[in-house]
Amino acid sequence: MPTTTPSPAVSPADLARLTEHWAEPPSLRAWFSTVDHKRIGRRYLVTAGFFFALAGLSALAMRTQLARPEAGVVSPQEYNQLFTMHGTAMIFLFATPMLFGFGNFLVPLMIGSRDMAFPRLNAFGYWVFLFAGLFMWSSLPFGAAPNNGWFAYAPLTGEQNTPGLHMDVYALGLLFLGISTTAGAINFIVTALKLRAPGMSLNRVPLFVWAIVATAFMVIFALPALNLDNAMLFLDRRFDTHFFDPSAGGNVLLWQHLFWIFGHPDVYIIVMPALGIVSAVLPAFTRRGVVGYPLVVLAIVAIAIISFGVWVHHMFATGLPQLSYSFFSAASTIITIPSGLQIFAWLATMLLGRLVLKVPLLFVIGFIVTFVLGGFTGTMFALTAFDQQVTDSYFVVAHFHYVLIGGAVFPMLAGIYYWLPKITGRMYGERLGRWAFWLIFTGMHVTFFPMHLYGLFGMPRRVYTYRSEPGWDGWNLVSTVGSYLLAVGLLLVLVGVVHAVRRGKPAPPDPWSGDSLEWSTQSPPEPYNFPVLPRVHSLHPTWDERTAESTGPGASADRVLSEGRRTLLTSELDAHRERAVEMPESSLQPLLLAGALLLFFTSMLLAWYPVAAVAVLVVVVTIAVWLWPPRRPDRELGVTA
Amino acid sequence: MTDPAGIVTAATRAESLSAELPAGRSTGWWGMVMFVATEATLFACLLGSYYYLRFQYGPQWPPPGIEAPSLLKPLVMTAVLLPSSLPMLWAEHGIRRGQRWRLRSGLAATMLLGITFLALQATEYAEKLRQFTMTTDAYGSLFYLITGFHGLHVLIGLTMIGWLLAASLRGGSFGAHRHDRVRNAAIYWHFVDAVWAAILFTIYLTPRL
Amino acid sequence: MTTTRAESRARLTGGLLLWYGVLGGAVAWVVHLLAGWSLDELTCAAGSERVSAVPLWQAVGLAVVVPALVTVGSLLVAALAWRRTAQAQEAGADDRAFGRARMLATLGIWANLLFLTIIVLGGVAVLVLPPCQR
Repeated sequence: MPTTTPSPAVSPADLARLTEHWAEPPSLRAWFSTVDHKRIGRRYLVTAGFFFALAGLSALAMRTQLARPEAGVVSPQEYNQLFTMHGTAMIFLFATPMLFGFGNFLVPLMIGSRDMAFPRLNAFGYWVFLFAGLFMWSSLPFGAAPNNGWFAYAPLTGEQNTPGLHMDVYALGLLFLGISTTAGAINFIVTALKLRAPGMSLNRVPLFVWAIVATAFMVIFALPALNLDNAMLFLDRRFDTHFFDPSAGGNVLLWQHLFWIFGHPDVYIIVMPALGIVSAVLPAFTRRGVVGYPLVVLAIVAIAIISFGVWVHHMFATGLPQLSYSFFSAASTIITIPSGLQIFAWLATMLLGRLVLKVPLLFVIGFIVTFVLGGFTGTMFALTAFDQQVTDSYFVVAHFHYVLIGGAVFPMLAGIYYWLPKITGRMYGERLGRWAFWLIFTGMHVTFFPMHLYGLFGMPRRVYTYRSEPGWDGWNLVSTVGSYLLAVGLLLVLVGVVHAVRRGKPAPPDPWSGDSLEWSTQSPPEPYNFPVLPRVHSLHPTWDERTAESTGPGASADRVLSEGRRTLLTSELDAHRERAVEMPESSLQPLLLAGALLLFFTSMLLAWYPVAAVAVLVVVVTIAVWLWPPRRPDRELGVTA
Repeated sequence: MTDPAGIVTAATRAESLSAELPAGRSTGWWGMVMFVATEATLFACLLGSYYYLRFQYGPQWPPPGIEAPSLLKPLVMTAVLLPSSLPMLWAEHGIRRGQRWRLRSGLAATMLLGITFLALQATEYAEKLRQFTMTTDAYGSLFYLITGFHGLHVLIGLTMIGWLLAASLRGGSFGAHRHDRVRNAAIYWHFVDAVWAAILFTIYLTPRL
Repeated sequence: MTTTRAESRARLTGGLLLWYGVLGGAVAWVVHLLAGWSLDELTCAAGSERVSAVPLWQAVGLAVVVPALVTVGSLLVAALAWRRTAQAQEAGADDRAFGRARMLATLGIWANLLFLTIIVLGGVAVLVLPPCQR
């Protein structure tokens, strides 16, 4: 295995020039105007972690309320807001942004580039995410938070049935957040298509990058349905339109159709990048590549496509003709094949490799166990009679927490431990990490396994309290105890991260002998990522002598690009070198634009329409100034428009 | 090499099958194409919602009290908007050769046509609003949401074009090798045109089928 | 290097052919799903079992058979692309374009098999179920 002391071949003069063009001297202005994908990625991770903590505390409040029958910790109104904000925040403000954070930090490093394709758009996406999250959470202290459950079925969400700002916050908050998610998705796709290091043809792209790109494509085609749905909901509530109003020609099922056209792909939008993390972590701890690379890519692509053709299975009881239902159930059946393919590829990788049992691998194993159990209860829903029995009971709650904690949170935790040395430049403590894992694993199962039982005993979900019933009281208390265990475990993760940042041992560039390009840079990477952009010769570039040589003795000046803030464009499929491009400098415009949008959405919420009009004007002017063409000679060497 | 068999043989050689396609596009091009893709999905959902509510509603559509939309004005609007892509194309080809006068006059022509379209739409709204509004029933809601949302897109497109025109009046903004922004705005404008064709078919033609 | 017009045409056709081999099945399945669903749903909602003169089950059947044939075609193209690039690689060509095209062709073969299965399962349903039974 080649050692990875970066850049023996780059002259000190080149390094100084690279630093001059890329580094941002610490200042308040630099903090607000940065466009560095690594800083933005870190911010995504921290902010999503913060929203995760808020949503987790909401869950603890609910579990405390449900610990014994007829408790009075929270009122029914508060309880409704807590469970809605818990679900909405976990899905929209935690899961996807957290994974986008990993993507932001890692995709440019993994493909051997110096930044994302649109660095300013990237910064803008982060600020919008932050503001949208604060917008939604700040409604809670006012008692005006969303309160109809995270999927907000009409007609319960109509103005008559839910007066007040609650669902306006939901509709506007998700529309606002949608801007960030769409911008991020476009950025990932273009980055992965155009900024890969020379030589990284499609058959050498890391599985994590495939997963992020597939997710981004799903976002592009799924999110508009949700946005339209929320726009219609807001219009119905505020401006008396009739999209979901049956008495005037509307239809409540329109909400459900549009919501699940988005919602089912969203399950994969959440889980897919997490599965990508698993595929990225495994090679380092099994000492071999993931078995069946083309088949795992197939699984990723096929799931991304087929997930759009299964939405009707969320709407069992809405009265479609059986024949048209069967077209969707054929797709629902077949989508299990690529999902299974991935699981078997990982199991085979672990069987054929030499296991190195570190904390990230523990979380991967925890993921496989929990996720498979969640999948198992998932197949039980395919029996219509059983489905109708347990719908809206705690059994469903147990099922999707197994899938989402198993399928998303465990891989994320594996990713946090795995990339912590790269992100912070510090090693974490292995012992504390193991404690955290076992507490989280135990806490998770102690919390959610009993939910299967009292769900089967008939306890409905989303009730703020219950009367003492045989089988309910004891198991509810067990769940509550488990949730506190889980919280302690997650707290230990936080302690571990803080401890690593403050006192951790400095991390070497490649502590795990990983296979992808991020391990061939410094920990943490320099602002310009790579002193020499590598030339990639295989699927596992860091394990490959020729790729290592391309950044060492074989480095050529056309891949150093130190005479400006530059990176390379390569061709879409085979990554042939096309040209060097100038990358944008840091700027305050992204923050300004996001702030104007925050003003717009806030004034829409509070019905200050003149202020909203002013905000729109600010948005238009900011964009116009942002994109105004610089005055330059028509042709400048090595630089495009 | 015009016989079909020869072409098939040539096209199925390993070299041809592994020809790189697409290749050489800029990041801006991909960004705009992806943006248009997500916008197109939004319009597809919008028109899908229209059909869904229409077919769930029953035999009479638009609902009683609202006449089927008249065709004359929308057809005139179509005749204004669809050809507006042509001067845009002409302008784009012009700047690729470095002819700034073609860019300027092409953009101005497109802008004129776009503004005419919006003016016509405003007069159409003035007529319709006397008959029904957004709050009359689901048909009214759909009509104004779909056409209004498209009108907003035309307005955004016009803003882009006006912005390009302003930039092109200053020297040094665009040239034979620097026209990414022109092409991206053109892609957006063509998309706005194409969506209008789908809206014409859905809102104005299908109630008469 | 000069590329003749015929050559560049062959490369264009070849590149498109490969994409047909990779994505043909997926596109065919989308068409099948939307056409089959909306035909069935709308005709039944109108209270009829005929689409003009054609019985509904035959019309829906057409929305199965045509996409299925397109998928089979796509499968064959993917298989051909896989063989050609494999042969080229065995002959010693060290061009990463072959490796990439071969992986895409592998992807296409398996994806088309998946989509073909979905479409055929839908076809079985057309034969078994009366089109408007709820």
